[in-house]
Amino acid sequence: MTDYGHDLWFGSFVTPVAQPPGAPVEAAVLSERAGLDLVSFQDHPYQAAFGDTWTLMSWAAARTERIRISGNVLSLPLRPPAVLARAAATLDRLSGGRVEMGIGAGAFWDGIAAMGGTRLEPGQAVRALEEAIAVLRGLWATDEPGRLTVEGEFHPVSGVRRGPAPAHPIPINIGAYKPRMLRLIGRAADGWLPSLGYLPDGPSSLAAMNELIDDAASAAGRDPAAVTRILNLNGTFGGGAGLFRGTPEVWAEQVADLALQYGMSGFVLASDDPGDLSRFGREVAPRAREIVAAERAA
Amino acid sequence: MTGVGHSRDVNYGHPLRFGLRPVVGPGSGPEETARWAAPVQELGLDLLIVPAGPDGEEGVAEPLTLASWIAAVTGPVGLAVEVDRVPLPAMLARAVASLDQLTGGRVALTLRRPDAALGEVIDVVRELWNVLDDGPARYDGRVHRLAGAQRAAPAHDVVIGVDARDPDGFALVGRQADEWSTTDAAPAALAVGNAAVDAAARAAGRDPREIGRRLTIGGSFGERSGPFTGTAADWVGDLLPLVVEHGVGTVVLHTADHDDAKRFATEVAPALRAAADAALPPGWSDTRVRRSAALARRRPGIDYDGVPEGLAEVVEPGDLAYARLRGGYLRGGSPGIVLRAATEDQVVAALAFARRHPHLPLSRRSAGHGISGRSTNDGGIVIDLSLMNAIEVLDETTRRVRIGPGARWAEVATALAPYGWALSSGDYGGVGVGGLATAGGIGFLARAHGLTIDRLRRVRMVLADGSVVDADDERNPDLFWAVRGAGANFGIVTSFEFEVDEVGPVAFAQLTQDAHDLERYLVEWGRVVEQSPRDLTSFLIVPPPRGRRPALALSHTMVEAADEETVLARLAPLAAISPMYAQQVVVTSYASVMNNAADQTPVSRGEPVSRSGLLRHLSPQFAAVAAQVIRSGAIGWFQLRSVGGAVADVPADATAYAHRDANFSLVVMGADDAAVDAQWDRLRPFLDGLYLSFESSLRPGRLADAWPPRTLARLRELKARHDPDGVFRDNFDLADPTFDTRGRAL
Repeated sequence: MTDYGHDLWFGSFVTPVAQPPGAPVEAAVLSERAGLDLVSFQDHPYQAAFGDTWTLMSWAAARTERIRISGNVLSLPLRPPAVLARAAATLDRLSGGRVEMGIGAGAFWDGIAAMGGTRLEPGQAVRALEEAIAVLRGLWATDEPGRLTVEGEFHPVSGVRRGPAPAHPIPINIGAYKPRMLRLIGRAADGWLPSLGYLPDGPSSLAAMNELIDDAASAAGRDPAAVTRILNLNGTFGGGAGLFRGTPEVWAEQVADLALQYGMSGFVLASDDPGDLSRFGREVAPRAREIVAAERAA
Repeated sequence: MTGVGHSRDVNYGHPLRFGLRPVVGPGSGPEETARWAAPVQELGLDLLIVPAGPDGEEGVAEPLTLASWIAAVTGPVGLAVEVDRVPLPAMLARAVASLDQLTGGRVALTLRRPDAALGEVIDVVRELWNVLDDGPARYDGRVHRLAGAQRAAPAHDVVIGVDARDPDGFALVGRQADEWSTTDAAPAALAVGNAAVDAAARAAGRDPREIGRRLTIGGSFGERSGPFTGTAADWVGDLLPLVVEHGVGTVVLHTADHDDAKRFATEVAPALRAAADAALPPGWSDTRVRRSAALARRRPGIDYDGVPEGLAEVVEPGDLAYARLRGGYLRGGSPGIVLRAATEDQVVAALAFARRHPHLPLSRRSAGHGISGRSTNDGGIVIDLSLMNAIEVLDETTRRVRIGPGARWAEVATALAPYGWALSSGDYGGVGVGGLATAGGIGFLARAHGLTIDRLRRVRMVLADGSVVDADDERNPDLFWAVRGAGANFGIVTSFEFEVDEVGPVAFAQLTQDAHDLERYLVEWGRVVEQSPRDLTSFLIVPPPRGRRPALALSHTMVEAADEETVLARLAPLAAISPMYAQQVVVTSYASVMNNAADQTPVSRGEPVSRSGLLRHLSPQFAAVAAQVIRSGAIGWFQLRSVGGAVADVPADATAYAHRDANFSLVVMGADDAAVDAQWDRLRPFLDGLYLSFESSLRPGRLADAWPPRTLARLRELKARHDPDGVFRDNFDLADPTFDTRGRAL
């Protein structure tokens, strides 16, 4: 049982449909109105049925005031980190520090290759992500002296001027499940962003995965609590049994359970349904915070 | 206007546009550029250049992100996004396409620092945007590649400009770009660049006028100390020769100074426009020049250069909009030109153009549902009326409503709902008004309120000779008679006036029932419908058997009642026919039932084969054959719609829709003409009449199926009078010479 003591926050996970073009932006506005803390967009650029995730994120940021914006997760093989760093810093400044960097090592390699991206083996993809993190952090670190050089196999950068500086330290959250990636998260990332549906044994998988992250963090001299644990989840509000199938009250108890037992603190609902997003923000979130606060105080 | 005027003067006929490029220095943040969005818009400038930063400078804002932000907070101003390095051109294509979609077509792209790979970048971007060709996008360049990527187009034809300063750059622009962008305002430099760009363009088979010329200048107002200094008049004096003699079409001021920007926008721009208009021949910038690549897709036999002016939109096979307008919901097409008319005058002009091409197919399209295949063609002309979609209430007391042919029935239902009115249409909200309301209109309120044409009181239409007439019971009563059931033979209706009905809440039931005894189900469903009061109208779909799926019957039934007792009483006999797999009954509005179509009609590439017939009763003999047909494997769609009721109250000779005694309309669809016909021929003995809009067959004999002899004789007489040259011959041509006077094949 691990509780890192983080404040709970809640988000939405929006489908970036291409038609009608404004629909995902409306979902972002709606998420903000529902009191959610974050709106996130999946990123599958090889899908013509989807609009460009980063363009939608930029537009959504301009149309909202408070909510944080993230990819969930951006496809690194199609988003070279040197460009991504500048894009993220640009949007972070324009939005007043509301950007989060949700990123993944890449999936659907046929699609990536179709778009002209480079197909990588799993081991290569992990190393490429580690290099990318160095490039992102290095370009954002305008207070560090000199130009940035990151030697590497995949994303080498040589003597590049840093900047622009983001408005706030942009957290790098990684969607991953395998040990090598989890160890990378422990060493270098600010957050872990798995999806409930991809956990091999449901929530109970979280314990061992958390442990891998924690061990890697400690080995790198970091406090394991420096890594936020975020969970993408699917569900429906109803009377059913099972995880995220019941009433908002039942959801809140399940969220609290995941927070107290497995240290999860960010909860992101995959839904485009206005009613569900609204319940998640207005009913589940405050109640879950209440339960967790009470338990932590006890 | 040709490219080269007298002496060596060059003007390419590009209308003048004015833009602003904010100065971005090292250390300046994206916020500073974003702050220009509002002033650029307020000053009425055409274009804001979203800068990629000073040359060779990293560490500055990422321009596509910045452009997206600015676009989200501005109105109609155009945005030209500068991009320096393009590691993955496919991703650039996606981002720009998305931004263009989100902005409704306000984006241009400017590529800077051309190198050996930039030509490949442009190729890849264009290939991913190319939705005119089928199949995944492939490109195998030295640097860049596409290995079967999905295509996605921007909202409009995004201009790809290149900032070029040397011969290699000029050559690239001439070969591939839509715009040459330069910062060198020296007349000699412009002359050299233009000559090189034009030569490369011609060598590549392009017209130099395809390529815009954008000049970015720096300057200040006040003391005169060289070009672009002094007064606004001095600036105009500096710029005019560059426009008239060196082809500059877009002038961009590069500045950090708001006052200079204001004087440029409010003093220089209008004065330069006036000066250019005075110096150049009238209409110098009126000609739209299509890309050579687009011209190459033109079809033979069409006088493209003679298209009438003033049409709302003219879409050729090489235009981006063609991908959306070539076909319809169920059917693909490859017309040679689509003429979009937004007014009656435009319809007249489009029709006159079509009449100059008597050898080509002519199709008319309302909104593009087009099951029968008449709303598009191969290599011919389409007159598209989808922009004529107004819905106006003329008189609340008589419930008189005027509707354009391009409106879709979902829109009509939504517009009428607040008044407590409805007009029975069909079963799908995406269908357009014009086609349905000239054929019949067999909808969910048919048994209570009749066909759509039964509520029609007047039309205004363009006849074959281009004359515009009103037709109702008093004026042109013959035409008014003919238009209700055979309208496609007589003209193009530009507005319909209906007397719509008061319709309260309705119950809508979707029942999925067991149909393993299909013969029995069909007979029972038919019997129940015929015996039901008129407030019930039911449509039945029987999906062909597939794999181990149980045999199903899906019925959609509307009951014009909201009280539970009536609704249940009406539905109980249907529910009793066989066990229920699923049921959904809602009390709702006619409008919400019709609201079942996507906003944007998807464009199909299919060629469905559709057959239609009308019949009085579902006899056991019919049901036995129908069950065999459904199970034959030759058809994919089998639907019965109940008609009868109020439809049968109208005398057979009152309109050109004469088969008033039919209680059912049958539609069968499949993929193969011969296979469908083989099955259809087995059903024909049971049928009497057909519904034009569900019939795709072109085989002889269909005229005799469509209209009974007396109706046909009268129609043919009217056809000879009103369309003697056979202009409208694509949809059950009444004048088809291969038929005798009774409509039988000769």
